[in-house]
Amino acid sequence: MSTDIRTARFQAVAWPHLATVVRAARILCGNAAEAEDLAQETMIKAYRGIDGFADGTDIKAWLLTILRRTRIDRVRATSNTAGQVSIEASGIDPPEPDKWQTDDEAWRENPQAILNSFSDQQVIDALQKLPEDIRLTLLLVDVEQLDHREAATILDVPVGTIKSRTHRGRAMLRQALLPLARDLRFIRDDPNRREG
Amino acid sequence: MNTNDEQNPLDQATAARLHRLSTMPVDTSALERTLRAAISPPSKRSMWRAWPARAIAASLLIASLVLAVMLTASSGSVLASPAQMAQMHEDLVSGRLPSMQADSVEAANKMLAAQSPASPQVPSLPPEHVMACCMQSVKNKKVACVLLKEGMEGIPVSMMVANASDMRLPVAPTRTFNGETYYVQSSGLLNMVMMKREGRWVCLIGQVAVERMMELAGKLRF
Repeated sequence: MSTDIRTARFQAVAWPHLATVVRAARILCGNAAEAEDLAQETMIKAYRGIDGFADGTDIKAWLLTILRRTRIDRVRATSNTAGQVSIEASGIDPPEPDKWQTDDEAWRENPQAILNSFSDQQVIDALQKLPEDIRLTLLLVDVEQLDHREAATILDVPVGTIKSRTHRGRAMLRQALLPLARDLRFIRDDPNRREG
Repeated sequence: MNTNDEQNPLDQATAARLHRLSTMPVDTSALERTLRAAISPPSKRSMWRAWPARAIAASLLIASLVLAVMLTASSGSVLASPAQMAQMHEDLVSGRLPSMQADSVEAANKMLAAQSPASPQVPSLPPEHVMACCMQSVKNKKVACVLLKEGMEGIPVSMMVANASDMRLPVAPTRTFNGETYYVQSSGLLNMVMMKREGRWVCLIGQVAVERMMELAGKLRF
């Protein structure tokens, strides 16, 4: 494929999703500078690999796959130099059912209104407290609303894993937002909980 | 533990909040420039000739929509969308919107009145907050915009002021702070608190917690 044709195809197919890639990178990385680097690297890889994109398939899923691989490479590079935990090692133990159940009680009054009270940045900051694989799953399933099968293909895991990660991730996100929700008085403190 | 989304309102609410992140505004202009430079050799600039054409088409479409909105909303009170207000704030902060430097609300009111005699009167605020001002039009209604700085960090906050009869308050959640009720909305990373006081509609916008915005709004003197 000539450079002209590749560029034209990239421009027509991938360029319209630039904002989606930037947004996804922002959600994954948490900070704007790192996200911009990740988005840039992702789009340049997409440009170089546009010949491999099959017409009729989902361009967004294709770009998010590249984004995920690029992110893994970057995290690995960082962990090699800074001793950080790799994505593969970031799996979490299943949450203790009693713990999540108790904390979820705080949200029962009007969960949608409470969650909508947080700014996007506050939600993104809370997502940074979650393991990478959970954050990626929530990005694909809830933010981008890919179906479980598409998300499973991108993350290279069984559909069942996506389902359990999604449910667990949502609970973990609420858990991560809970202290802020209490600080900002979005939800009331449970006096029994403090005494206990 | 129930893993069925359809039967779990908490999961549904969390999923819905996460999905709202998909509409978070992001600035792609710097990345677009970098990408163009990276994938388009200088001698092949013509490869992107389709882009300006599309941009022009998009601009014409937007201009038509804006004109249509202006024609239909030239009388009665109007409602500014969160996205519209957020755009105005971002344009004001980035300098894309021409503004005049002001070191107090009094100075801003004088400059705005000189620019437009029908300018809505901006409520007073301690001078350390005030940075710049300009006059804008939202759906053909005059809106005075004052750029403020908030807190030790000097986070930019825009204060939009219009005559109460010109602008409607949104159907949005309300919050009460120090006995005053505020309508709260967000767009991307920006929070907005709106109110009507003393014949004026006021909206504060910034990447600041809603509580701090309400605290700032509490300092306004009408």
